[in-house]
Amino acid sequence: MSENEPPPPETPPISRRSFLRGAGQVAAAGGLLGSASGERPQAESDSSDGVETLSGAIEISLVVNGAPRKVEVEPRTTLLSALRVHLDPPLTGTKLVCDRGSCGACTVLLDGEPAYACLTLAVACRGKQITTVEGFGTPDAMSDVQEAFCSKDAMMCGFCTPGFVVATHAALERRPDADLEELRYELSGNLCRCGTYPHVFEAAQEVQRMRGKDGSGR
Amino acid sequence: MSAADPSWGPREDLDVLDRDIPRVDGAVKATGRAVYTHDVRVPGMLWARLLLCPFPRATVESIDVAPAEALPGVAYAAALKEPGDEVRYSGEDGVLAVVAAETPEQAEDALAAIIADVERAEPVVSPEQAKADGAPIVNRRPGATSNVDRRNESGDEAAVEAAFAGAAAIVERTYEIPVQHHVCLETHGHVVEPIDEDGEVLVHASTQAVSGLPRALAGAFERGGRIRVVTPHMGGGFGSKFGPGREGAVCAQVAEATGRPVHLMLTRADEFAMAGNRSGSKQTLKLGASDDGGLVALRLDAERYGGVGGGALPRPPYIYRVEGEASVMSRIASVHTATDSSRAMRAPGHPQASFAMESAVDELAYELGMDPVDIRVRNLESPVHHRQLERAAEEIGWYDHPHHIEPGTPDETGRAVGIGFGVSVWSPGGRGSTCDVTVHPDGSVVSATATQDLGTGARTYVAAIVAEELGLTVDQVTPRIGDSSLPPSVASGGSVTTGSSAPAIKDAAHRAREALEERVSTVLEAPVGGYVWKGGRVMVRDDPDRSLAWIEVCALLREPLVARGQFQASLYEGNVHGAQAAKVEVDAMTGRVRVVKMVAVQDQGLPLNRLALRSQINGGMIQALSFGLLEQRSFDEQYGYLVSDNLDVYRIAGAQEMPEFVTIIDDEDQRPAVGGMAEAPVIPGHSAIANAIYNACGVRLTRMPFTPANVLEALYGKV
Amino acid sequence: MRPFDHRTPTSIDEAIAALPAERSRTGAQVIAGGQDLLTVMKDRIDEPEALVDIGGLGLARIDEAKSGDLVIGATTTIQAIADSEVIAKRFPALREAARSVASPQIRSQGTLGGNLNQRPRCPYYRHPDVTCFKKGGNVCLAEFGFSKYAAIFGGGPSYFSHPSDMATALVAAGASVDVSGPEGDDTIPLDAYYVLPDAALDTETVLAPNQVVRSVVVPAPTAGERSTYLKFKERASYDFALAAVAVTVNLDGDTIVSARVVLGGVAPTPWPSLEAAAALVGRPMSPETWKAAGEAAVADAVPLDHNGYKVHLVKGVLYRALESLA
Repeated sequence: MSENEPPPPETPPISRRSFLRGAGQVAAAGGLLGSASGERPQAESDSSDGVETLSGAIEISLVVNGAPRKVEVEPRTTLLSALRVHLDPPLTGTKLVCDRGSCGACTVLLDGEPAYACLTLAVACRGKQITTVEGFGTPDAMSDVQEAFCSKDAMMCGFCTPGFVVATHAALERRPDADLEELRYELSGNLCRCGTYPHVFEAAQEVQRMRGKDGSGR
Repeated sequence: MSAADPSWGPREDLDVLDRDIPRVDGAVKATGRAVYTHDVRVPGMLWARLLLCPFPRATVESIDVAPAEALPGVAYAAALKEPGDEVRYSGEDGVLAVVAAETPEQAEDALAAIIADVERAEPVVSPEQAKADGAPIVNRRPGATSNVDRRNESGDEAAVEAAFAGAAAIVERTYEIPVQHHVCLETHGHVVEPIDEDGEVLVHASTQAVSGLPRALAGAFERGGRIRVVTPHMGGGFGSKFGPGREGAVCAQVAEATGRPVHLMLTRADEFAMAGNRSGSKQTLKLGASDDGGLVALRLDAERYGGVGGGALPRPPYIYRVEGEASVMSRIASVHTATDSSRAMRAPGHPQASFAMESAVDELAYELGMDPVDIRVRNLESPVHHRQLERAAEEIGWYDHPHHIEPGTPDETGRAVGIGFGVSVWSPGGRGSTCDVTVHPDGSVVSATATQDLGTGARTYVAAIVAEELGLTVDQVTPRIGDSSLPPSVASGGSVTTGSSAPAIKDAAHRAREALEERVSTVLEAPVGGYVWKGGRVMVRDDPDRSLAWIEVCALLREPLVARGQFQASLYEGNVHGAQAAKVEVDAMTGRVRVVKMVAVQDQGLPLNRLALRSQINGGMIQALSFGLLEQRSFDEQYGYLVSDNLDVYRIAGAQEMPEFVTIIDDEDQRPAVGGMAEAPVIPGHSAIANAIYNACGVRLTRMPFTPANVLEALYGKV
Repeated sequence: MRPFDHRTPTSIDEAIAALPAERSRTGAQVIAGGQDLLTVMKDRIDEPEALVDIGGLGLARIDEAKSGDLVIGATTTIQAIADSEVIAKRFPALREAARSVASPQIRSQGTLGGNLNQRPRCPYYRHPDVTCFKKGGNVCLAEFGFSKYAAIFGGGPSYFSHPSDMATALVAAGASVDVSGPEGDDTIPLDAYYVLPDAALDTETVLAPNQVVRSVVVPAPTAGERSTYLKFKERASYDFALAAVAVTVNLDGDTIVSARVVLGGVAPTPWPSLEAAAALVGRPMSPETWKAAGEAAVADAVPLDHNGYKVHLVKGVLYRALESLA
C-alpha cells in the first residue's frame, strides 16, 4: 500500500464473518429445489396466456448430431452439462474448461452457427440442430478438418482440440477462402495452452487446399 | 545370443523415426472420443465440489454443512476444518468443505447452501506486505521469525567489486517478473472408484506421474487396497500435476465415506487458487564487461516469490560465462506470502533468470556498440550456440535489419520495428523407466509402459520405436500407456520422459528382436545379429533373398514373446541447446507490442518424431510469448481476493497473438541419442521479445508482462 | 446457477407482464442470447427466479427506413450486424464495432440488445465472494485495490468501465433505443440511456426492470461524414476494450467542420468527449490536430493507482482512429 492511500472506510467493507455464498440465498434456493423435486418431470404450460413456463426437472428432446435424443434437464441446465452429464450415454467430446465462455473448448454448432455450450441453455436448443465434435466424424471416418488436424499435428494434449475442430469447421464455412489473418480472427474464440495454433492454421489451410482441389468448396 | 547393445543406428537407415509421424491417438482426440479424467462416467458416480475460503488468512468460526445435506441429491457434505482452525494461506489450505451429489448442478446447490463463518485476517499476499514491519509471519519454516529466507549467498563482495572496477561497461537494473500459472486446460482432479471385491482401488487421474501416484495416494485411503492409477489421456500438466494434491486426498475421503465412485475435478477458479504457479521474482542484476564484450563481473540480488513455497531461480551466471574465479556473487532470498506454493513449471526458474540475464547482456552490447549477436557468441562457450544464433539471425532477417548497434526510434507515425535474441540450455534427464514389448503369434505387437502422454507425443514413440526396430509400420504396434499396472516409468518433469522411456522401449524392442532372431535362425540359419528387419520382413543380412514375412516369423512362436526393456544410459542425451529470435512491431502511441515473427533453432540429438518435436518447440515459444505479453497473477492486496481467477482476467495468448513461426530442428547435431524437449524452448522467447522492443525503440522493459500498461509506463512514466 | 423458471412469451406484452416492476437480484429478467446474462448468473451476481426468453418474438431485423435511418432489432445477432452489407456500406463504424465484439461464438449467439445491456466486467464485481457497491455493499474495491481495468472518467462511488463496443459506436452515431413497457412504448436517446454510478448502483441504464428493448434506430449519416470505431485490447484475441473510440468527422476540404468523439472502456458509461470534439472542429486533419484532440480528451481524467496508462492510451487510440479517417 502506498503512503498517500486513503485509510480504509470506517465500516469494514467486507463482512469479516459469513463470507459465503450464503446466508439469505439458502432458503430461497431450498424452496425452489423443493418445488422442483417432484417425481414426474414435465413442462407445465400456463394456459391463461401464451407463455410457456418450464420449471424444475423436465424431459426435453434435443436433436444432437442429426438424431433426436431425450434428456432430462432443468431450465438452468446448460447445453454443455446436458451433453456431458445428462444425456445417456453422454457425449464427452465437448469439453468443460472455463465455464464462462472464455476459452472455446465447449464449442458446438447450433443450426450451423458456432456457440459456447457453456453459455447456452439446453431448453433453448429445442428445435435446433446441435452438432458436436462427435457429429463431424468417427476415428474411422473423420471429416476433412479432423483428418487435417491429425496430419498437421494440430493437437497436443488434445483438450482444446474438439472445440478447435468445431470452430475450424465453422470458420471455413463462413470464410472458405480466408487468408491467414482472417483465419486467426475467425479462430480467436478458442484457447490452447500447449501451443498448437500454428499447426491449427496449417490444418485449416490444408482443408482449404483439398476443398479447392476437389471442388467441394463447402 | 549376440551381445550387441541396442543403438539408434545411422540416421540414414531409419524408416520410421526422425520423420513426421502423425500421432497415433490423433483420430480419437480430433473426433472427441479420447476419454480424459474429466470425461470418466462410472455407474453410481457422485459429483464433488470443494468450498474454498476466499481469504488467504482466516480463522474458522464455524462451518455448517447441514443445509447442504438437506438438499435433494446430496450424498455427502463435510467440513474439512474445525472451528478454531486457521486458514494459513490461499489455495490448498483454504479448502473448507466438500460436497458430493448425484449431479453437478445439485453439488453446486449444496456448495451454495453451506454456511461458513470465518474471521478474516490480514492478507499478506504481496512481497511488500510480507516484508513490512510487524507483518504476520506466514513463512512455514519451523521457527521462522521473518517472511524472508536467505537461500543462496555466494561470492566475495570485495573481489566482485574489484572485478567491476576493471570493467569497461557496467549495466544494472531491477527486473520484475510476476507469478504465472500453468493453466492446464483440463483442471486437476480424479475420479476415485472405491475398493472392489478384488481389493483394487481404481483411480482415474489427470497426472504427470502414473507410476508414482499410487504410493503418493496410499495414505489417503484408510481402508487400504491396491491402488491402480489410469491416465489414458490428460489435458496438460506443465509441472503442476505430480502429486494428488489436496483435491486427491479429499476425493479419496469422499469415495471411502460413501462407498461410491467420486468425480472431483477442480473448477477453473479453484484451479487458479490451488493448483500451482510459477514463482515470481525481482532481480537486481549488475553486469560488467571488458571493452571486447567479455563478461567480467556479475552481481545478483534477487527475491523469489513462491508463496509459502521457496520459488525457483538458478544461481548465476545464467548460461553465459563470466571470466575469472571470483567475479560472480549472488544473494538470493525467498520472500514468503500467504499464497499457495509455487510448483515446478516448465523449466522452473529458468525463464525468470533468462529475462534478467539476456536483458543485461543485450544492454551491454548497446553500451559497447557491439552487435547483440556478437556479444552472445563472445560469451557462450558452445559452438552449437554460435551456429544456432547465426542461423536464427539469418532467418529473422537480422542481417537486413537497419539498426544493430543503436536502437531504432519510432517513425513519424509512432511505429517501430525491432529484433531481439535469447538462448537456452537444458539437461534433459534419463533414468529408470521400463517397458515390455510383447509379440503375439498372430503378428500383433504391444509396447507397454506406464508412462503418461501430456501431449508431447509419448504414446506415438512408444509404438514407433518398436516399429523401427522390428521393421514394421507404426500402426502394426499397439502402444499401451497411462496405467500404473504396466511396467513402471518416470514422472514427466524436467524433460526426462523421452530420455527415460525411449531407451527402455528401444531396449525392449531390441531384446524382442534378438529373441525373434533366435527362432528365425532355426529357419534362415544365420546367427542372431545377422538379420535386417525392414518393410515387414526379416532378411539375412548377407543374403537378403533368404527372408521371412513378419507374419511367418510370428507363426514360429507358440506363445507370446515378452521382452522387458530397461533404461539404457547409452541411448539418452543429456544436453540440448537452443537460440531464439523475435521480431516485434511497437506502437509507441498505444504501447501495443505485436510479435510478428519468432525463430527457434533447437538441437536435441535424434528427433524421434519431427512433427511432434516441432509442436513441442512451437509450444515453448508460444508459452514464452504468452508469458511475455500477457500473463500475470493478480491479488487484491486489501482483502486478499484472487482477482485473476478466470481466463478473462488471467489472459493467455490466443490465435491473434500468433506471429509467423520458423521452427528449425538443428540437424547439424547428429548425436545418436535422444532427449526430451519440454523445457528448453520455453526459456528464452520472452527475453528475445524484450530485447526486440529495445531494439525497436530504445526502451528497456524491466517489468513483465509487456502489456500496453507496462510499455506506456516505460515510455512515458507513471501517470 | 440457482434454479429458475424458463418462460417463453409469444408477444412483447406477454414478456412485459412476466417481468417485475421492482428491480432486485432475484427478479425475473429477459434473456435472448444469454452470452452475458448467464455469466452474471454463474457468478451469482443476479439470481433471477425466472428468465423470459424473447428470442422467439421475431425482433431480429436490419431495415433501412425511408428516411435513411437504420433500424436494428434487439435480438439481431452481432454477427448479423458485422455481416450486413447495408451497415458495411453506410455505417462503417458500426460494422467495426460489431467485428470487434468478443469472439465468433459470442457474435453468433449474442444479440444487440444483450450487448447494450451487458453488465460490468470489473473482476471484483464478477467475483462471487465480493460484495461491492454494485452488489449492495459499501465499497468499491477497485478504487483502492486492483484498478488496472477501472474507469478514468466518471467514476465514483463505483469505478467500473463500460464494456459494450456497440454502445460506444451507437452513442457516437446518435442512436436511440425503442423500448416497450407496461406504460407503453418509449424512445430513449442512447446518450441518455446509460447512467453513472452516482445516479444508480444497481443498474447501468434507465431501462426499467419490466421494460424490453425492441430495437435500435440509427439516424442516417450526413453526406460526406467519415466515421470509425477503434477498439484497443490488452489481448489481440477476444478481449474487452482497455480503451476504444468512436469518431465521426465531417470535412470541408481539409478542415474539420464537425466532429463527434465517444470513448469506450474508460468510464462507467460510453463517454462522449465534447472536449476532444471541440479541439477538432475548425482544425485541419493533421497529426497536430489529432494530438491536440487527445490532450483535450484526457484533460479531466482522474486515474486510480493502476490505470494511469489509460490516459496515454486514450490519446494514442484517438490518434490512430483519426489517422485512419484521414
